[in-house]
Amino acid sequence: MPGQNLLEVSDSELRGDNTMEEVFFKRFTFNQLLEHWVMIGSFMTLVISGMPLKFPDAWWSPVIINLLGGFEMRTLIHHTAGIVMVVLGVYHVVYHVFIDRESMLERKVWPTLTDVQDFWQTILFYVGKAEHPKFGRYSWKEKFDYWGAFWGMVMLCVTGLIMMFPFVAMEYIPFAYVHLSTLIHTDEALLATLFIFIVHWWNVHYSPEVFPMSKAWITGNLSEEQMKHEHPLEYEEIMRQMNEKSEKITFKK
Amino acid sequence: MNTLNNDKKNDKLYKVSGKRVIQSKTGLKRIELRIGISGKVYQMLSPGKTLYLLLNNKFVLIFILVISLFTSVGSAQEDISCYHCHTTVVSQFRNNIHYQKGFTCADCHGGNDLSNSSVISYSVMSGNFIGRPSRSNITDVCSKCHPQEAKDYKTSIHWAQIQKGHTDAATCTDCHGIHEIRAISDPNSSANRQNSPATCAKCHSNKEMMSAWYYGIKTDRFDTYKESFHWRALSNGYTVVATCADCHGNHNTKATTDPNSSTYPENLPKTCGKPNCHPGANFDVKIASGLVHDKESLHTAELVFNKTSLEPQMKDYYLGPFDLAYWIALFFKILTTGVIGIFAGMVILDFFSRIKIHKRW
Repeated sequence: MPGQNLLEVSDSELRGDNTMEEVFFKRFTFNQLLEHWVMIGSFMTLVISGMPLKFPDAWWSPVIINLLGGFEMRTLIHHTAGIVMVVLGVYHVVYHVFIDRESMLERKVWPTLTDVQDFWQTILFYVGKAEHPKFGRYSWKEKFDYWGAFWGMVMLCVTGLIMMFPFVAMEYIPFAYVHLSTLIHTDEALLATLFIFIVHWWNVHYSPEVFPMSKAWITGNLSEEQMKHEHPLEYEEIMRQMNEKSEKITFKK
Repeated sequence: MNTLNNDKKNDKLYKVSGKRVIQSKTGLKRIELRIGISGKVYQMLSPGKTLYLLLNNKFVLIFILVISLFTSVGSAQEDISCYHCHTTVVSQFRNNIHYQKGFTCADCHGGNDLSNSSVISYSVMSGNFIGRPSRSNITDVCSKCHPQEAKDYKTSIHWAQIQKGHTDAATCTDCHGIHEIRAISDPNSSANRQNSPATCAKCHSNKEMMSAWYYGIKTDRFDTYKESFHWRALSNGYTVVATCADCHGNHNTKATTDPNSSTYPENLPKTCGKPNCHPGANFDVKIASGLVHDKESLHTAELVFNKTSLEPQMKDYYLGPFDLAYWIALFFKILTTGVIGIFAGMVILDFFSRIKIHKRW
């Protein structure tokens, strides 16, 4: 990661000695954290205000609608949170394509062939027939999370806007597509909800590896131990770069 | 009661078999009857004595007063003369908006409404008494006061069917109620916004009734309406959404194939774009293709829509991309079960591997 501050050394200047007490590895920038927080807020609001409409015959459907303040208020809440999510999605793409100066090809988030191998090796590990794969900056699970959310955002935002302004949409697309968007919107939302609640929360929240939770979503940092454990390849890469730097410095002297 | 006890002491007893005639000193006669094996004695007072004792009691007097008061007040409420025989019907009529506005039985059924129960039916059924109007004549009764509604109704498919002899087709009373006609704004009215889909479904979800006239009226209209945003809002008390009558018309409802119908393809922009609904709705008829109701394929993922039975000009309009709906529904079924299945399976594998494998990575 050239040009990015990967290390945050705490208390090293205050102590006045050269021994490092605790090293934190920067996982997410503040910008990424903020995006995630807004995402959590809008997503949870959308799930709560949207699911009663996906399952109108369920006993909890009218309960939630009444708790939200009636049907009209439910719609207002859903629309507001939806617009927040659309803005977030647009901001995310604009920021990381045009403002962030990192090269598109060098990004670590693109899926690679190694991820497929890692996926298979993880299953073998769970069955007890292989070592756990060593991950780089992003594991295949994290990449799947990201691209799943990316695909979901595109689908939900487009179909959501069609449903919010059906008669504007009908000036360009057939009426039937408005119905199709209700189908896509609700099915995709159900998939996203199930995935977040079951898989994502297991990985970052319930799993004994991180329980009660991985604090990276609040601080943006990982401890050295966590880094060695979860992203060993990235850890080795950082350490190698550090050594090269320090060698260069000693060579200059 | 004291007098009775005093009498008893001075009684002369005459033994009759099983029956005693007692002559008291005061001159009053009473008869005792011996009944049963126990030989219990029941006294039988003479009628004059009974009346005397009853009227001497103030509680009995008050009771009689109260009962007579209730009876007089109760009978004063029977302002509907037909009540004495047609009890059920008149009880329903008391909820009728017409009753509350001062109309009587005679206003619809004809005859004389000034008679009461003692004059009985002879004078009730005099003059222009029509009794129970036939289904094809109900409109005539209502049109006496509601001429505009009756005029609209006579342009409808329902009236056309009645004229053809299908008298089961909806007339005034099927939607508004027979004797229990309530105001439209009354939430208990069958023609109220919230209740109107169920009211239409009484006939339109009835397979026997729908197939009796001509093949082709679908009986799943209410079920498919339930898939819409309109119904989900309506059933949660948000009544500012379209119900059956808002698109199909209420009194003047017509077949969708009728060019004058509000749901005929070319009239749809106007129907959807009503000032209270989606003002400014402006879409090309061809672009607005696809069915409002026929979304079976969306949710059952079955291609139930029969394309061959359509007329050619409607075919192009109706079909639209509804095959696409089938494939999209199928795609999401596979995607959701696949993704959640694989990943939830991995969560479970992960969980169990922690029990089996002692050495973690």
